[in-house]
Amino acid sequence: MGATLRALRALVLLLGFYLLSLVLLAALIGLDVLVFSWGHGPLTAKVGFVTVLLAIPVVRGMLMLRTPKGEDGPGIPVAEADEPRLWALVRDIAAAAGTRAPDRIVLTGEVNAAVSENPRLLGLLPGPRRLYLGVPLLTGLTEAQLRSVLVHEFGHFTGGDTRLSALVVRGRVQIGRVIGQFHEKADDKVAADRARQERKSAERVARGKKAKQVDTTGVGATYRTMARIYTAYGKFYLRASLSTARGQEFAADLTAARIAGRDATASALREIPVLSASHDFYLESYATLGLQARLLPPRGEFFGGFGRLLTARELELADLRSQLPEEPAGPYDSHPPIAERVRRIEALPADGRTDEARGAALALLSEPARTLAALEDAALADELLRYPRAAGWEELLDASMAAGLTTAQTPLHRALAGYTGQPATLPALLDVIDDGRLWRLAEKLPLSEEAAAAKGRAFREFVRPVLRRSLRTMVLAEFSSRSLLHWEFSWSRPASLRLPGWGSETGEGGPEAELEAALEAALADHPDTTRLRALLPPATQNA
Amino acid sequence: MTVLFWILGVLAVPTLLFVLWLAWVFLKELFNPSPDEDAEAAEAAQAAQAAEKLGLLPAERQNTDLAAPLPAEWAGVLAAVRGGDWLPAADLLASIGRDWERRSWAAYLLAECAAEEDAWLLAWEAVRRDDPDAAVVRARSTVILAWKLRGGQRAQYTTGEQFDAFHRTLAGAREEVARAAALNPDDPTPYVAEIWVALGLGYPNARMDTLWEELTARAPHHYEAHFSALQYWCAKWRGSARQAMEFAERAAAGAPLGSLLTALPLIAHFEHDDSEDTAADNTPQMLARVEAALADAAAADPSHPRLPELRHLLAFYLHLQDRNEAALEQFKLVDGYVHALPWRYRNDKAGYYCRVRNTVVGEVAAQAAPAAA
Repeated sequence: MGATLRALRALVLLLGFYLLSLVLLAALIGLDVLVFSWGHGPLTAKVGFVTVLLAIPVVRGMLMLRTPKGEDGPGIPVAEADEPRLWALVRDIAAAAGTRAPDRIVLTGEVNAAVSENPRLLGLLPGPRRLYLGVPLLTGLTEAQLRSVLVHEFGHFTGGDTRLSALVVRGRVQIGRVIGQFHEKADDKVAADRARQERKSAERVARGKKAKQVDTTGVGATYRTMARIYTAYGKFYLRASLSTARGQEFAADLTAARIAGRDATASALREIPVLSASHDFYLESYATLGLQARLLPPRGEFFGGFGRLLTARELELADLRSQLPEEPAGPYDSHPPIAERVRRIEALPADGRTDEARGAALALLSEPARTLAALEDAALADELLRYPRAAGWEELLDASMAAGLTTAQTPLHRALAGYTGQPATLPALLDVIDDGRLWRLAEKLPLSEEAAAAKGRAFREFVRPVLRRSLRTMVLAEFSSRSLLHWEFSWSRPASLRLPGWGSETGEGGPEAELEAALEAALADHPDTTRLRALLPPATQNA
Repeated sequence: MTVLFWILGVLAVPTLLFVLWLAWVFLKELFNPSPDEDAEAAEAAQAAQAAEKLGLLPAERQNTDLAAPLPAEWAGVLAAVRGGDWLPAADLLASIGRDWERRSWAAYLLAECAAEEDAWLLAWEAVRRDDPDAAVVRARSTVILAWKLRGGQRAQYTTGEQFDAFHRTLAGAREEVARAAALNPDDPTPYVAEIWVALGLGYPNARMDTLWEELTARAPHHYEAHFSALQYWCAKWRGSARQAMEFAERAAAGAPLGSLLTALPLIAHFEHDDSEDTAADNTPQMLARVEAALADAAAADPSHPRLPELRHLLAFYLHLQDRNEAALEQFKLVDGYVHALPWRYRNDKAGYYCRVRNTVVGEVAAQAAPAAA
């Protein structure tokens, strides 16, 4: 299908939206006329009122002609003078792809590269163009892979995909907005109805009657029906534009392979899902590790640590690269499954460009460290930026683990407090165990149906894992509060615990094995806390 | 006004249809009444009375924990153990000695008690370190405990917590099984326990074959071992219908008369038979299997602890094959205890058993009546 035909179809689909709205309006007016000529009095007034209410979102949807202006996401715009090599590369690629270079380059904190253009006059005239480039992407890709990603993005412009897609996007946005409006109204109505029923119910109670169950089923059904009509059209619309969208992706991939090399393109496609997953993991387990303790990593490390994680976990990543997602990200996602895209690229004949530009893409920046630091200011919320910085990753880990342990409230804490009526402390727990009442205490733990029904050995087996975890936390918190704990930071493994050496008493497995054995003894069918008490700092034992 | 009539007309159609349907149902019931439930109930009550006349017990008096009465001495031992006294248990296992059928059965019953509370077993272990009898009870009790933690539901109704506890406990049981086997190298019982570990942990077939070689080298025709291994080979665990039947046929063919292994093909059939009617139970093959099992039961030692289990199966299949008189013979021999296949997979074991048994009693009476007349 040529570009003109695609444009025509996009136009027809968009017009279909207006046609649907007009038909709905006509139906509403027709209903009014019918009721007006046959009905009388209050009925006419009510129907008229409802139809006007329903017509409002329809009319508003039709009048919303402008797609909302895309705002610049958080990021740092870089001028050509700041990053001459990056700009040169981008211009070079735009020229090779046969399209105009962007007017701005914005570095962001996401694993993403995107070119956006705000076209004018329904996409008939070109508008300013921006390239959004995620710094984590630069961290994880080689220069050749980055070139391939950029060619792909610019390739969409060469194919004329983006200008025409303005129409497609407009339709999509507009339908979405109308659906949203109807749902919002329905929700408002449900909320209002609930409030009314609750008020009534409160009155009933005040008059000494039984409260009625609040039931809002069916409220807002008219709004929801209208939303459903638009949803159906929206689905049809998306499906109609989907095959085109996927075809465009394949075409852009081919352009990328032609200009940036087959192998760089295939490996970049393999790399991006891996980077994306790794970055999520990095943010969750490393960058935001100290939030509970209100600490940030050292300046520049919030985004800078990602590179070190990637280096340290190279083996794991190699594994991930071989497992490509076979499914598209969603039923209406415009991208075909990555596995399919990689297959198509790897089926191309070899072009002997395997060894081109293997340096890290981050090295394109003139001063990567400065950029990483500046990006924090742009991408992180002000509230976070006010947090103090840890001296290093090691310190960040220690501080956040200590904070986690001191504030930890395990199920055993709650059970113990409930059982003794006193604040839950480790010495109190050990006393309960020594009194032979551990399994009485265990009955106060939150239990599953099966555990609650079990007796004797079976019951003890069911509660043992949670007891073990909780007791371990309580013991570690005790050590931590005396600064006897140390956590070993690693980019390649989960943090591991380092207990103080217990001198000559420690067995062959070191203090960790000793602790596990002591925990096991304290929670055995016939509990014995002697070993655990021997490990604890003296103050705990005297308490 | 026309519009109003239209609306009324449209509303009237479904109402009219409903009224017509009601009338049709009413007329149908008037001329062709569905079978009366009262009559069925009366028939069932009559059969139950007839069964009672023969000395057969009603559902509420059936024992649902055992397949047959325990020897009096054993019941005493179990009661002592529940009271915390382990000595009688040690004496019982010592007196059984190398009778592997009885040893595995007694060890199972003791282990069942120890899976609930094991203070007595701990006391036994403390006094007699490395007693192979205590070790075998310990190993079996942990395996039983694991299966209790899992519960009897299918995987989809079993929670993650249950599976966790199940796997953790089974993994721990492996060590105890190995210890029991090492302490009494001739004893097949620890290997019987290990089959249930194999089921739970999903041993690969090859590993099961190795385990099976170890076991049959010690006891070639052990009933509980064969029963357990057949479970492993069933489709619901680690095998298939074909593997299970093949295992069962091979075991039955190679066993001497009186070993009761003719029960295996019947069990394999029972485990994989999903049909609604009795056609599959009346194939020449099934007729021959029942015939072989009857001969096996007749030749067996009358005090064989597993004989009642075979009789329960025989009663069921003889009934399905319309040999109600022979079925009634078997029912009379085992009545009072219903914890056996095919009943024990049902929630209402005793009810199911009594329904089938009473049907058999009714059929036999109906056949006898014309003859007497």
